[in-house]
Amino acid sequence: MEHPMNWKIVFVLLSFPLLVSGCGSKENFIILSPASEGLVGALEVETEKGSAILDEEGKVMYIAGLTSFPAEPTEISTAESQELFRDVLQVHPLMPQSFLLYFQHSSDALTEKSQKLIPAILEAVKKRQSRDIAIIGHTDRTGGEGYNRILSMERAQVVYDILRGQNIKGEEMTILYHGEANPLVHTADDVAEPRNRRVEVMVR
Amino acid sequence: MPKKRIRYWRNTMKKTALGCLALLLLCVFPLSAVAEKRIIGKVKGLRGLVSILRDGRTEPAFPNDEIYQSDTILTGSDGAIGILLEDNTLISMGPIGRISMDKFQFTPSRNEYELRLHMMHGTFIYQSGLLGKLAPHAVELQTPVGRISMLKDTSFKAKFTE
Repeated sequence: MEHPMNWKIVFVLLSFPLLVSGCGSKENFIILSPASEGLVGALEVETEKGSAILDEEGKVMYIAGLTSFPAEPTEISTAESQELFRDVLQVHPLMPQSFLLYFQHSSDALTEKSQKLIPAILEAVKKRQSRDIAIIGHTDRTGGEGYNRILSMERAQVVYDILRGQNIKGEEMTILYHGEANPLVHTADDVAEPRNRRVEVMVR
Repeated sequence: MPKKRIRYWRNTMKKTALGCLALLLLCVFPLSAVAEKRIIGKVKGLRGLVSILRDGRTEPAFPNDEIYQSDTILTGSDGAIGILLEDNTLISMGPIGRISMDKFQFTPSRNEYELRLHMMHGTFIYQSGLLGKLAPHAVELQTPVGRISMLKDTSFKAKFTE
């Protein structure tokens, strides 16, 4: 009566490594993310056997091991991918968001339209629980370089004060200012360009 | 040449060689030490137990902690971490994971770009940032099944098993 039992155990023990290596084909895989800004990415996987390209959004490429060829990419449903990456999706940070606030000519007064952006900035800070907000001041090229350096600093300071007034802590914000040195739109000197009179707020 | 003089020369040569070596070591090591200490990103998302292995010491990770070049990050069975690099690249890792942040260089003003990561084990989300946009070819990822390189700005999810 004992012998058949033992044989069963031996069989299970022998087949275990086979089962594990059989699962191996799904132990390593890459899923290409959906296109961002209308562009689909492309990557190349190079094993010791050769290389293969994955360039279709939402497709998965299985790779059995370093000494195998990557498999032909196949379809994977969004639901399956969400389930496989549930734990890691929960901690994946939001991409930093950048806001441009515009100013009146030669002044540290925000345009009316830009004043209305402040709630969106606060919302972005809240969503990210951000403690990492960069405020970067700029000017156009009317007026001297020295004057513009100071103006860009004053503009950044105004935005800092607004956010400070909305209970964002000072130590969570960093002020930078570039004067006229980093225009968004390149112009000749002394040209008024409203799009360059700006403060960028980067919420990270 | 008399034997004594040869010996003298040999000794001088040895001393010079040793001196050069010492100078070389002095030059190389402080520099590499500085490079190792470079901040490359921050912890933005965190759950469960996550540790950072740095300079041979393991410390628990907390939200908003800084990540340095050469750090190895390990997650426990309930751990997960989301990292934001200086160029806005996002890298997250799920439970029982291991990744080393081998190299990160992002200096657009000098056209210097490099990102090298070793994804050893676990589930990963890689979301490309400015570096991936400006210099996709400067991204190189090692995995247990080979090397991943970017042909253009690319984001992906992956699972690797050591």
